[in-house]
Amino acid sequence: MATQTPTRPEQDQSVEQKVQQVRKLYSDAPELAKKALENALPGLMSQAAEAQASQSESAGRIGIRLGTISELTVIAPFAPGGAQRLRAILRLLHGNFSAGTKVGTLHNMRFVFLDNDTKFLFATAYDGQWDPYIEDFATKIPDEMDIIFSAFEGWPGIRSPKVKDWIVEHQIPAEGWFVAYPDLTVAETGRVKRVAKAVEEFLDKVGN
Amino acid sequence: MATQTLTKPQQSQNVEQKIQQFRELFADAPELGKKALENALHELKSQASDLPPPVESAGRVGARLGKVSELTIIVPLAPGGAKRLRAFLRLLGGNLSQGADKVGTLHTMRFVFFDNDTRLLFATAFDGDWDAYIDDFVAKIPDYLDVIDSAWEGWPGIRSPGAKDYLIKHQITAEGWYVAYPDLTVAEIKRLQRIGKAVDEFLDKVGT
Repeated sequence: MATQTPTRPEQDQSVEQKVQQVRKLYSDAPELAKKALENALPGLMSQAAEAQASQSESAGRIGIRLGTISELTVIAPFAPGGAQRLRAILRLLHGNFSAGTKVGTLHNMRFVFLDNDTKFLFATAYDGQWDPYIEDFATKIPDEMDIIFSAFEGWPGIRSPKVKDWIVEHQIPAEGWFVAYPDLTVAETGRVKRVAKAVEEFLDKVGN
Repeated sequence: MATQTLTKPQQSQNVEQKIQQFRELFADAPELGKKALENALHELKSQASDLPPPVESAGRVGARLGKVSELTIIVPLAPGGAKRLRAFLRLLGGNLSQGADKVGTLHTMRFVFFDNDTRLLFATAFDGDWDAYIDDFVAKIPDYLDVIDSAWEGWPGIRSPGAKDYLIKHQITAEGWYVAYPDLTVAEIKRLQRIGKAVDEFLDKVGT
């Protein structure tokens, strides 16, 4: 599968060098892009300098991470009949795959059918490192995983020792990643939500 | 572009009928898929009849769960586009925070190159309705958008009246969508985070 480029930018280039390089590449871009680049460049320079400090890092075996939150993007071909099966299940659940809550480290997850139902995109945002995350799926929702992923060509089964290799083979690391709150895990968000609710109830009572 | 199927499930079918339907579909699934289905069926059944909140429409295109919507766009890259965009993303260390934070309604965003740099996946999780969200991008970071999107084949420019049509044409609505906290917008999370921090500080003081 495609473009498994390393996501790590070269650290040894200076920001000026990189900007220079970007400018050069944009010299044959459409006019509107060149103009937009010149408009955005002052902001970009400072951002690029900051980015040296806070750039995305590796999520472990594959994928990138910003703060505590990582991305996983898998594109895989459907097995014969797989698209039909998967669509039936997702419709049964009204598109809401709420079993994801059991994983405990999952921020969001999407299922998208591509290229006339021949390929499938599975993309998640999750907490922490790749290996424990995959293990969470395997221990917490193994059957749900097999129901869904058996729709794909060559899926070895979530309990198979080869399952991680299959995922790595079909995962494509993102080149750009953004998270609104890189320091908030799913658990921590749940905690602040509870605390805030308690505070509001307390203030309500005091106010009465 | 592919498979713009509707996400709305047929509400008229009852759960029993649906289960029957996809038991049939799974008759020719791989053995491990069939087994997983039988294991999970009990739970799937209760999940399907407890009706977790259904995924709804994010407006013109895309799926939404509670307040959080998904946007998944797959575009062919213009000649030289992959190279330019990759250089740009690397300049930022793969971290798109400064531009993206300005939008104010963006939870997560990723850029993924695939099919040997001929196509790009752009996927976001955002608050609310599609039109308002795109308008936010246009109003708040037009230049960033043009720098990025000019790598896309046929991109008309964010200020063009054809911009939204272009996006709709390349967006594929997810068939499945999961969000850990469907009721929490980006703004609301910030508020909760502040309250949580204030409470922690308060408790620290009381404790000492």
